Amino acid sequence: MTQQAPAWAASPRHLASRPVSTRPASPVPVPHEVCIHPGPALLEGVADGPSLAAHRKRYGDLPTTRLPHLLQLVRGAGLRGRGGAAFPFATKLETASKRRRPVVVVNLSEGEPASAKDSALALSRPHLVLDGATAAAQALGSREVHLVVTGERPLVRQSMERALEERAGDVAVRLHTAAPRFVAGQARAVIELLSGRPNLPVTAWSPEAIEGLRGRPTLLSNAETWAHVGLLVLRGEGAYRRHGTETEPGTALLSLTTPGEEPHVLEVPYGTRLREVLPEAAHGLPALVGGFHGSWATWPTLANARISVPHLAALGTPLGAGVLLVPDAETCPVELTSRIVAFLAGQSAGRCGPCHNGLPALAAAVHDVATGRGGAERAGQLAELVRGRGACAHPDGTVRLVRSLLGTLPHEVAEHVSGGCAHLRAAVAS
Amino acid sequence: MSRRLRVDWPSCQARGLCHELLPELVELDEWGYPIVGGEVTEELVADARAAVRACPRLALRLV
Amino acid sequence: MTDGPLLWYLNRSTGLVLLVLLTITTVLGVLSLGGRPGRGVPRFVTQSLHRNLALLSVALLGAHVTSAVVDTYVDIRWWQAVVPVGATYMPLWLGLGTVSLDLIALVVVTSLLRTRLSHRSWHAVHLLSWAAWLVAVVHGVGIGTDLRAGSLLAVVPTVSCVAAVLLAGTVRISRGLRPQPLSSQPLSSQPLSERTLP
Repeated sequence: MTQQAPAWAASPRHLASRPVSTRPASPVPVPHEVCIHPGPALLEGVADGPSLAAHRKRYGDLPTTRLPHLLQLVRGAGLRGRGGAAFPFATKLETASKRRRPVVVVNLSEGEPASAKDSALALSRPHLVLDGATAAAQALGSREVHLVVTGERPLVRQSMERALEERAGDVAVRLHTAAPRFVAGQARAVIELLSGRPNLPVTAWSPEAIEGLRGRPTLLSNAETWAHVGLLVLRGEGAYRRHGTETEPGTALLSLTTPGEEPHVLEVPYGTRLREVLPEAAHGLPALVGGFHGSWATWPTLANARISVPHLAALGTPLGAGVLLVPDAETCPVELTSRIVAFLAGQSAGRCGPCHNGLPALAAAVHDVATGRGGAERAGQLAELVRGRGACAHPDGTVRLVRSLLGTLPHEVAEHVSGGCAHLRAAVAS
Repeated sequence: MSRRLRVDWPSCQARGLCHELLPELVELDEWGYPIVGGEVTEELVADARAAVRACPRLALRLV
Repeated sequence: MTDGPLLWYLNRSTGLVLLVLLTITTVLGVLSLGGRPGRGVPRFVTQSLHRNLALLSVALLGAHVTSAVVDTYVDIRWWQAVVPVGATYMPLWLGLGTVSLDLIALVVVTSLLRTRLSHRSWHAVHLLSWAAWLVAVVHGVGIGTDLRAGSLLAVVPTVSCVAAVLLAGTVRISRGLRPQPLSSQPLSSQPLSERTLP
């Protein structure tokens, strides 16, 4: 797998400056730069640049797609959401089409600091994303399209603004800025933002495709999902099926992140072996599959795994939003997990008692484990207590991370409990 | 038709009336928030409805 | 039957008892708020008492109004029970009583339909019960023959009730000023920010 990036992608491209906060900082800060690797479909021809002219030259004009044809396209491709839940897009589209005055929302808030794929799309392929959303809006007869970007990555916002300007005259798209928080990208939190309320999760009594923004059916999807829709509409199912497998056609964008380095965004056909994607330096080491709300995987698991939603789910390491966090050999996974959990606890919206109280307690317990003071049992208890008891999946994702540490890396955890971890000794000594 | 109790977590302020009225299905965690378990069976439906009506924050729903 | 003092006694007694009931209801309403569950009387008991006494007050209010209207000694019409202007008998004080009744009706109806309203709307209307209580007391002081006569049977309960509600109101305000346990604003102090992590 070539790791070479085109010159313009590899040059320093600033995305963010971290806001000052009294909450624990993310162990992986919001990236200032991202290295975007050219890919076979979504990231094809990134060297052309993000302009509308270049986009149209490569993909042609956006055909008007009627709803039945769009449904057929996304169903045939088995398109799943790329925001982490991997929900079948065709189901959402069909549900939203059944009620009046649907709304289309492009979620580019990328609240997870370790993720960079949506930013990469914004910087290199904004019109693919916008074409997808526009096609769906036209098919649904929706006149309301919203785009949500994060304020933490200013260049991303700029790129989308420029892209929207180039498309004047098309379906009107309203641009919104998400709050600089981890949970700001959660579906209901986004809808709250669009409603003019604080950008935080609320309880959803029905899916937003049935009742979302102002009670209207809301087709809210991740930016990458929209890019795939765009690709399907522009190129057709046949071209789409050229990559990936028979049962899982298409590609996925992955954010390959090593703490301390800039992230790499790769486009990978489904079915690709993970060991081909992971850099040499990561071979032999465990990795966190799915980002901060993901699961640890040992090297043997990784070596035999393929990039595939059902396959990775069956292995107990769901792909989520495509973040592969690969710590280097010097980073202890127990200590890293402790810092991630501390960060996630601080990112609680503070609206739900079990999350607001339970996550800090869970972080304290994991911290105890990491500093050799025991606490694994308490961590397990709290994990069970907090799971499923909140308006959003923030506690659930945090619990998944903690349980995967305790369950998948028991050897590393035991080293910490016994005081034998090399990193622990260094930390205690300092 | 299986019915469950669902908590509207942002509204819940751990007042505890649901637990008082329906201890068979609602326990409280160490911070006073309800742990709702199990299906609401026929004999518990009346108590479940009472718990829903009693919640001062209207944070409990029978779905 | 409509002459003679019986209706008058009924009106005065229901008035006095209403004062006490409305006071207890208000105090129970304040007691229902806040605090941790499990200490002392179960929360649902306090809540039930509050609701039941409120409904009892409504019933008694019906008797209070009926006895005033039916009594031919004073000219009070049915519509004057809900419209606060246009009465001939002591229009100001009677009008205040009507205002109180209207406010109580609003509070009770919204509470009966609680599950169909948002919590915020219901609560905003519910706060009018303080005004309802106050206006009822002023109505009693202005129109009440016993209070004007200085009868202890009227003065002692009235003073006690006012004191009780003042105390309840103070508690309510102090509870309202205390920061909420959960807030949608970013929390400035988290247990973890005081820890030094490796």
